[in-house]
Amino acid sequence: MDFSFLWNGRYVGILLGGLFLTLVLAIIAVASGTALALVPAFLRLSKNRLFRFIGTAYVEVIRGTPLLVQVLIIYSFFRMPVTVVLGVDLSSFLPGMLALFINSSAYVAEVIRGGITSVDRGQSEAAASLGMGKGLAMRKIILPQAVKNIVPALGNEFVTLIKETSIFMYLGIAELMYAATIVRTSTYAVKESYIVVAILYFCLTFPTSKLMGLLERKMKKADAR
Amino acid sequence: MPDDLLVLNGLTKRFSDGTVAVDAVDLSIQRGTVTVIIGPSGSGKSTLLRMINLIEPPTQGHVVFDGIDLLAKEVDANALRRRIGMVFQLFNLFPHLSVLDNLTIGPTTVLKKSKEAAETAARAMLARVGLAGKADSYPAQLSGGQKQRIAIARALCMDPEMMLFDEPTSALDPEMIGEVLSVMKKLAADGMTMVVVTHEMEFARAFADTVIVMDGGKIIEAGSPDVIFGHPTNPRTKEFLHRVIDKE
Repeated sequence: MDFSFLWNGRYVGILLGGLFLTLVLAIIAVASGTALALVPAFLRLSKNRLFRFIGTAYVEVIRGTPLLVQVLIIYSFFRMPVTVVLGVDLSSFLPGMLALFINSSAYVAEVIRGGITSVDRGQSEAAASLGMGKGLAMRKIILPQAVKNIVPALGNEFVTLIKETSIFMYLGIAELMYAATIVRTSTYAVKESYIVVAILYFCLTFPTSKLMGLLERKMKKADAR
Repeated sequence: MPDDLLVLNGLTKRFSDGTVAVDAVDLSIQRGTVTVIIGPSGSGKSTLLRMINLIEPPTQGHVVFDGIDLLAKEVDANALRRRIGMVFQLFNLFPHLSVLDNLTIGPTTVLKKSKEAAETAARAMLARVGLAGKADSYPAQLSGGQKQRIAIARALCMDPEMMLFDEPTSALDPEMIGEVLSVMKKLAADGMTMVVVTHEMEFARAFADTVIVMDGGKIIEAGSPDVIFGHPTNPRTKEFLHRVIDKE
């Protein structure tokens, strides 16, 4: 095995650039996905049957089809001339981002729904007994408690997304997996490039999940005050 | 009757599996009285109580509070709920809020009181239930008896015209029942209209104006404590009282 490309500044730069872009993509996807996820989550919690059906259909269809297929479908509908901004080609970046954003929203929607339904029913009953309307009770009583269940699970979703951004390789976006391909084709160090990339992914995901575990314990502790 | 604060009319709860928990109950409660509902478990007494403020939506019938039918389409149930306080078996305090915030969240968000006014009233209420020193504690730091007294204080901070108690001492250790009952007794002495579902026969005997006995979703007997405990007429009432009083 020949890892000598690690001493070549150009390749290291490409890999670190990929690592950075991977992290940025995952952050954007989980943040925007969470915002969008509120819609299907609350649709599924609605009393209205049609709303519930729409929310459930959205979540099930997206979770039931591969991300790669979703990316390719959205990409093939997207017609945009090549526009390079900060070294990123928006004509492939935007559809890829859109697909990742929609995909993560379906998973996060379930996380949010689960977090809300796990709050004891007595809490909404007590809020109602004080004359609080549904929206007020949700904002002041239910959501602050649900967040404690939601945030750690969002961390897991973030770890998943870090790995799933590798799908952007197919769109020619210079994230980590794409960077590995460049290194591989120029150095012919096939095994070595993939091993290095695997280690780099792990260096992102492992501390993230450890951090989330810490956060979860801290929140549990705060609850037992 | 001008003094009827609450009138229940044919109130029925049928669950989706077909079981009838409460079967066409009629009941009227006068302002300033204490009504205690007793009966074997599964008799529908908690369900009946929970239907009064629509925490449990009735299947049929009417709940008329202060002359207003709560189930009428144009009536805002939340506007009436704030006039009826409720105390739950499992306290249902808000664990993410301090004791003081538990007491002020209703008055500030629902009644739109200022924070200062709500806090002043809350501190006075804490003193009234004997927990003035616990304003900055969190529910998880309190004993069961303290939690239930805070829950009573939280309901009272809304300045309700009526208080519902759903087995307020059933989840408590025996040595904590007394402190909760004494708060309730004070409240009764102050003239609060109260409806209490309980297994505390002593409380019923000493403080109820009316004792209602439920079985199988129906009111099988109602009357003054003297009558219910002294000379019950319904054989099922006799049997029930025999069982619970023997246990005491």
